[in-house]
This record gives sequence, structure tokens and C-alpha cells, in this order.
Amino acid sequence: MLQKATFTLADGATLDDLVIRDTNEVSLRVMNDHELYKLEMERIFAKTWLLLGHDTEIPKAGDFIVRDMGEDQVIVTRDRNNEIHVNLNVCPHRGMKVCTAETGNAQAHRCIYHGWAFRPDGSFIGAPVEKEKMHGNQREKSELGLKKARVRLYGGLIFATWNINGPSFDDFLGDMKFYLDQLFCRTDSGLEMLGPPQRFVLPCNWKIPGEQSGSDGFHTLTLHRSLMEGGIMGGTAESIYDNAPGMYGVDVSVPQGHSLRCLEAAQTFKMFADVSFEGKTTEERLNLLPPPGVTKDLIPQLFKNLSKEQVEQLATIPPQVGGMFPNILLAFIFAPRTDGGSSGALALHTYVPKGPDKVEFVNFIFAEKDAPEQVKRDMLQNAIQQTGTSGIIEQDDADTWPQIMRNSRGAISKTMTLKYQALHGHERPDNWYGEGLLYPGFTKDDTQWNWWLAYYDLMAEA
Amino acid sequence: MSVNYATAAVDKASVMRGLVSKIRVPLGSEIYNRLLETLYDEAAALDERRFDDWIVMLAEDLTYTAPVRVTRNGPNKDRDVMRTMMHFDDNYASILMRTGRLAKSAWAEDPPSRTRRFVTNVRMAECETAGEYEVVSYLYVERSRLDNPENETTSCERRDIWRLADGGYRLSRREIIVDQSTLGMSNFAIFL
Ligand code: FES
Ligand SMILES: [Fe+2]
Repeated sequence: MLQKATFTLADGATLDDLVIRDTNEVSLRVMNDHELYKLEMERIFAKTWLLLGHDTEIPKAGDFIVRDMGEDQVIVTRDRNNEIHVNLNVCPHRGMKVCTAETGNAQAHRCIYHGWAFRPDGSFIGAPVEKEKMHGNQREKSELGLKKARVRLYGGLIFATWNINGPSFDDFLGDMKFYLDQLFCRTDSGLEMLGPPQRFVLPCNWKIPGEQSGSDGFHTLTLHRSLMEGGIMGGTAESIYDNAPGMYGVDVSVPQGHSLRCLEAAQTFKMFADVSFEGKTTEERLNLLPPPGVTKDLIPQLFKNLSKEQVEQLATIPPQVGGMFPNILLAFIFAPRTDGGSSGALALHTYVPKGPDKVEFVNFIFAEKDAPEQVKRDMLQNAIQQTGTSGIIEQDDADTWPQIMRNSRGAISKTMTLKYQALHGHERPDNWYGEGLLYPGFTKDDTQWNWWLAYYDLMAEA
Repeated sequence: MSVNYATAAVDKASVMRGLVSKIRVPLGSEIYNRLLETLYDEAAALDERRFDDWIVMLAEDLTYTAPVRVTRNGPNKDRDVMRTMMHFDDNYASILMRTGRLAKSAWAEDPPSRTRRFVTNVRMAECETAGEYEVVSYLYVERSRLDNPENETTSCERRDIWRLADGGYRLSRREIIVDQSTLGMSNFAIFL
């Protein structure tokens, strides 16, 4: 591997001491280091593409939402030409927040401090008392607009980056696009965000949930044991390790750090255990068991919006959980309910850094826009009961991560390493259409290790 | 300079007031005392993790929700309870699922938190249906987790409907209005 320019921390540690590529280990100290955190903000969060929300949150001209790109707050707006802009929420005059609300509608954003005003596209309108020219003589009005990020919409998802001339969004997605299209770009009207996100703060470093979003399948078996005890995933409390439900599938990842776990429903969930796809056509399979979040009415649209190969995968072994580097988790899961229903749950999270030892968990919940109202209602309820604040799955994650954080503080503890040594090595399964690094069989550490390699790559670039 | 500072049109939703009914149940009256006692008993059952005792206090038509709050300004500044998204969206069956889980491998509460629920500012009124009462209370929770010396806390208002049945009161509706737009509590693995 090409040795890249890197950094040295005050105590002499280098990136190679932190992400130890020879042995596939990561020093626990990375979770609690102010110097490293500062570098991460510059080299990752000020550089790469970040998810901010969905265009269905701001349907009308002038609508806005306020979101975070790392510790930089931005205003996401829709202008009169229907274009979406991402502007830094820092007044170019003296640094006040231009927008103090989380969401709303405004044709002009006026800073409450001295009244400078900006259009939804970020351009400077002027300061009050125009005749006195309170923005001075040195700078043209065209120079005094809000700082603008580069924006890209993908399946309605709003991504932005400060890296104006950096890698394209398509380069950022890489081979993952084939799989992600199956989740975000499969229907005519696309996804709809069902309401403002749930937001809560956890006392831990952003990389603790971050590395888990690199498709940690293994923890499902133990941390989320209650899913087996409750009869949701296959097996019983006694047979968890014999059946290992949800552990077998195809894990996919790319050098950009994104990953997904593709899982057959019958192998994962008790209520689908008897569903047999044997001898069935793609269409029959889709009708027998539509992918999470897709209703039967929407099935014809899949053929229209996706390639034959993409539909084929969605009908057999759909991507269900995974993440996108650096801080996105996605769960597009069958999510059977204890009452026997299964409308699916579609959720995306961002883990927004708020200091070396704080992270904001932002939970976005979706449904297909053209799904019937009752389905949307059921999916919302399902997602709330399983993910986020009170979700029975993610409560347990939220309680575990801060304990890892506390451990990262000890003089001895911080010298311990996180281990990613259960490696499978990539291997192309039979009848597989997509590209990327493929790991069929029992879930291992490969995808999470690739997450750390993506981290290494970005951190090595000044 | 012609700047259009017009912000959003006012939302249709009215500004929510805790207590809707005008027929007050006066402080110190027999019904007030019994319902207040019920709230205290409920808080004790939850603090002491006697979930079976709590379930007995719930009506089978229960709705149990906690809408998110967002920070808004201008004409909608007081319309900040967003019922399109919730922190809790539960009914009787899903509450049973949650308490059932708490009896097994629910690591978020095993080891359990030590909690104190402080119930205050209790106001009551009669509903149209005889035997049903609107009960609005403030709740403040201190939650001690593991060996962390700093408690997680949360404050909220609860808008309840309690129904007289079998000589006791059963909770048939609870809407929890949290005060934080970004919660400081790491999860809602506890009931509010
Ligand atoms: S800081 Fe915004 S107008 Fe002065
Ligand atoms: Fe998890």
C-alpha cells in the first residue's frame, strides 16, 4: 500500500499507531482524543459528502431546515426555482446564527443581531438602512453571501460537502449505487420522510456508532438477543447460537467505507420461515413477500425504475441494514411485529459529532410516498417501536456505546485495541449481479474493517 | 430596499393547552385526591419496577405517545409539538411487548436504572364521558445509570385521560410533551 502523508499527535502517535493495518486492530484511544477529533472535523466532516435530510421535508419554495455538518451548522433551503441550497448558518457580519429556528419558511433570512438579510440561495440582500451602506465599502455585496456547500440529491436524500472540487457524489457512492438504488430509487414518487427527525444526544464519540454502522452483524445475536427471545427473529432463546438467525447472507462493502447486509427473509425472521421461493419467478416472489416498505401496488414500479438485476436481488435477498461512511446507518428492515403484522420499517440515522465525547443521534423515518396512509401510519409506529429513542432494538445500542466511551479514558484501557480479525476475505457468490467487495456466508468483520480503511484514507490526506 | 420578510403562514393546528375541558375537578375534592393518589402509586410502581402493578393501571384501549418538539419562530413559534413524529407511539399490546422484554435480555435496563419520578402541578377536569377525567401533570425524572454519578434527567407534561373502572382508575390516554427538542436522555427505555 502506498504510504501517504499523515500526522503525528503531540505524544508522537501516528495514524499507523491508531489504525494498525498489519493486525487489523484499532487503538481504543481513538474514541477519546481531542487532537484527533479536531483533525477528523477537518479531514472527514469538512471534506466528505454528508447526509442532511430529505427533499420531502422542504416541499415549498422558502421552506428550510437547519442541520449539522459535523459541528458546522447549515440551513437547507428550497428556492423559488425549486433548487435546494445548503448554506452555513453563520452570519458573515459578526458570526451570529442567521437562522434560530429548526424548521420553517422564509423568502429572506434576516439575522436578528444587526439585520443583514439573505435569500434562500444564500446571496446577500443587504443590511438595514440601505442609504448608510452598513456593509461598508471594502467588499462587494456578491462577496457577502452565506458560505455555500456543494449539494447533491440522491433519491430525494440531501447530501452536501464543503469539498467544492473534491470527488463527485458518484465516486463517493462507487459500486454501492447498485444496491442503494434498490432502497432509495425504486418507485416513481420515491420516499417520503414521515416527520421531523427524532434527536437525542449520547455521551460517546461519533466513531463508536460509526464503526457499528459498517455492518456489525455479529452484535445482533447477543446485544439484540431480545429479538430472538421475543420470537421476532428465528429461533428461540435456547437455540440462538444454533440457528444464528440473521447471521447468514451476503455482506457487501466498498473501499469508500459504505456497506450493506443483504439477507433472505426466511433465514432471518420467524414469521417468514415457511415462505418458500422455490421455482417462483421474480414477480411471484415479490408478490409473495414484498421487500421491506414496498406494498404490492408498488411492485410494477420496481421493474420500471430498477434494472432487471436490481429487481432480482430485491426479490430474493434484499439489502436490509448497513451504513454509509462516515456517519450514516440505514435500516430498511422487514421488522415483523409481535402482533403478527409486518409493514416494514425504513429508517436512516446520522451520528453527528458534538465534541470528542458527544454524539447526536438523528433518526429519520420514511415510507414510500405512494403507499396508502394506513401503511405509512403502521410503518411509522413500527420504526418508532424498534429504532431510535424508545426503539426496543436501539435502546440497547444507546446504552452500550457510552460504556465503551468511559473505557477509552483509562491510561491502561486506552491502550487496548478494537479487533477486526474475524476476516472472511471477499469472494463472489453464485448468481450475484452487483459489484463491490462481497462476503457471502456468516457475517464477519470485513465490512467494518473496510470502514476503518476508509477512515484511514481520509485521515491520511491533509 | 424591498425585502420580503414574510415567513410561514400560520399552521392550522391550534396552540395546544394542557387542559381542554372547562369542568374542573377542584383541588382537594374526593376525586382529585383519589386521582392524585393514583398518579403517585403509578410513579412508585415504575420507580420500583413493579411493571405488573403498572399494567393493571392501564386500560386496554390505551394510546401512549410522545410527539417530538422542534424549535420554531415567527407566527408558528408556539406550535412546536410535532405529532407527525413521536418518541413513543404505543398502545396496550406494544406496552406489554416492552414490559415483557424488560423481564428478559433488555440490556438498556439490565442492570436497571434507579429512577425518581416527581409528579407536580396536577390539574384535573371532567371529560364528556361520565367517569373519565382529564389529568394534566408535570413530570420530572432523575435517572441514575450504572456507576455514573451524573443523573440523566428529563422534564415533560403529561396529558392523560383516566377512567373509573372496577373501583380504580385506568389510564386510557397519555400524551407526553417533552421539553427538549434534542433529548438529553440516551434512550427512553423507561416509561414516562
Ligand atoms: S452578526 Fe448578523 S447582522 Fe451582525
Ligand atoms: Fe444494534
